[in-house]
Amino acid sequence: MPYNVRLIETLSMVMIITSVAAVESHHLKRAAAAYGLQALLICGLILAFAVGNQALYVWALVALITKAVLTPWFIMRYISKTGEQEVRPIVGFGPSVGVVSVILFSFYKLTHTYVHVLAPTPESVAGVFRTNLAVALTVFVLGLYAILSRRDAIKTVIGLCLLENAVHLSLVSLAPNMRETALVGIATEVVVTVYLLLYVISGIREKLGTTDTFELAELHW
Amino acid sequence: MESTIPSILTQAVFLAPAGAGLLAWMLGRVWRKCAEALALLGSAAALAISAAMIGPVIRGQVLTGWGRELRVDSLSALLILLISAVAFPAALFAIRYMRHRRLHDAKGRDITEARLPAFYGLFLLFLSTMLWGCATNNIVMLYVAVEATTIASGLLVAFYWDRRALEAGYKYLMLLTVGITFALFACVLLYASAARYLPGVSAMLISELRGVAGLIPRSVAIFVVAFFIVGFGTKAGIAPFHPWLPDAHAEAPSPISALLSGVMIKMAAYALARTVTIFFPAYPVLTVFVVLLGAFTMLLGGVMALAQHDLKRLLAYSSVSQMGYVVMGLGFGTYLGVYGGLFHLLNHAAAKALLFLSVGAVIYATSARSMTELGGLGRRMPVTAACFFVGAFSISGMPPFAGFMSKLTIFLAGADEEMWAAVGIGVFTSLLTLVVVFRAGQAVFWGKPKSSGAPWEEAREAPASLLVAMVALAGVCVLFGVYPKLAYPLLNQAALAVAGVVAGH
Repeated sequence: MPYNVRLIETLSMVMIITSVAAVESHHLKRAAAAYGLQALLICGLILAFAVGNQALYVWALVALITKAVLTPWFIMRYISKTGEQEVRPIVGFGPSVGVVSVILFSFYKLTHTYVHVLAPTPESVAGVFRTNLAVALTVFVLGLYAILSRRDAIKTVIGLCLLENAVHLSLVSLAPNMRETALVGIATEVVVTVYLLLYVISGIREKLGTTDTFELAELHW
Repeated sequence: MESTIPSILTQAVFLAPAGAGLLAWMLGRVWRKCAEALALLGSAAALAISAAMIGPVIRGQVLTGWGRELRVDSLSALLILLISAVAFPAALFAIRYMRHRRLHDAKGRDITEARLPAFYGLFLLFLSTMLWGCATNNIVMLYVAVEATTIASGLLVAFYWDRRALEAGYKYLMLLTVGITFALFACVLLYASAARYLPGVSAMLISELRGVAGLIPRSVAIFVVAFFIVGFGTKAGIAPFHPWLPDAHAEAPSPISALLSGVMIKMAAYALARTVTIFFPAYPVLTVFVVLLGAFTMLLGGVMALAQHDLKRLLAYSSVSQMGYVVMGLGFGTYLGVYGGLFHLLNHAAAKALLFLSVGAVIYATSARSMTELGGLGRRMPVTAACFFVGAFSISGMPPFAGFMSKLTIFLAGADEEMWAAVGIGVFTSLLTLVVVFRAGQAVFWGKPKSSGAPWEEAREAPASLLVAMVALAGVCVLFGVYPKLAYPLLNQAALAVAGVVAGH
């Protein structure tokens, strides 16, 4: 096995920590920075896997441009126009860290132990690919948690980015030979969506004076 | 055996509106009328090209492009024709309609003219992405196309840029993107598991994947199907993933509502039909589950529509309800069920687009859209009233309108399968729909305005271009009701294509 297992496991661990920081930091700039770091680590992880599969170098490059450069830049640009303090989430900092730790630990354990349920091929259950899938699914759940529990619209956007990153990271195990056109299509769309969301959120800020999604209650069933 | 022929039409059908859209965006800044003309031209071109595809497809041929990347069989051709046939009247309607409501910036300056080129540019790109989604044969590109429709239409939903439109736009972009990410995960899982049985690129081709769906490990297949249903189901407005739909369809400008409710959710239903049905032969229990999902969706949508006073929200909930019929028909999995589901998909597209345009005409004349304010418009706007009732009777399944034929087909298919509860819910929801839309029509067109001194006391019939668009769609609703056989050649082929997959051929 050509893979550097230690490196991959360390990167995965740090990636999960940065993801939690991106969700939990009430300081929006720090959250965005944590997200940027998380995206860089994804590129690092993909590169670590590229040792065994040359096609992944392209994927790492695409991820670097779209996730680690463009997306954080859009978010930072938006934050500099507004404020740095997050609208308080429904779950406070202490309890939220507790909830997140429980979710992460149990979900990681679960996916790592039963990854074959979701792994389509024998290869993807073996060795480091098992870790990769488990990390991807754990970050996926974390992203969903962020979207559901945060009131600040920017935080929901960061949650959405985590969700997307997780699925894209799983491509390493699941579809390493996917064509470049498909990869570029997938990655570009997320950036465009984030850009549009921030554009709409800035409109909301103009009209409502807040980015609290709970204030968006004009339309209900 | 079907024969495949390479055809330039498969690319032209979505590249033409995309090109027109980019041109409209650029040239429209200089000259507004140019953007409007290009919107008509682009959607007319798409309509002409899709009509040209019908001949070969009815003869059982399959058109391909870019190698095997694009593939238009009878099912794709049906959707492509439907999308462009709704888009053209919507574009015609938009021209007068969109000039009418003026937009102002923070300083109170009129910025309508500056915004319209972007509107038509996005309109055409939206049309193009929907057509591309129906023409592609690549499972990952299907995801990319579905997400692209969200991106192209996101700013159209929020176009009026007021509090309600922005809220709807935010929810629309956020919920649909989260939902569709599940579909991406399903696409990738399906591709990864098929790669063992299919060499190279062909593991991404939908036409090849259906052959190996039964070989995929059971646990993975369950996740794939569940994620497809969450992903494309969100986009199709299937309950319980529908909450974005009433907001977006109600707050978007009316011609866009007609596209969203008329065809965009149908394109997502097409994506469901393409992906989920390939698992039917190996997992027959899925059909029961899909029928249940359809029944739940139609009932919930119908009940929610009953509680609405806002005309556009009412129509949006009714769209949720009608999608339930489509899903139920497809869920039966038999030839007759699929035929009914696809026929209803077609009829609902025409009727719901017509209803949204009729309500648009009411808004044009009165600037109001609440049943509690409006009243007595029938005398002032006879054509609009007639069009509204044609659409209303069609979606509630009254003879001699088109919706009656398709709903009857679905009920007969249900009776064939002896799923009497599903048929019962279908009939009950039809009656509910009749009550809902008839009550709305009565409140708006009969009686007297609910409040006096309002602008609708001098309300006049909408301009001719709006009426032409509406009458054309109303014509379709009547035509397919009186001569349902007109649609048979294409629907027959399309139903055979889906039911053939289900039967495992």
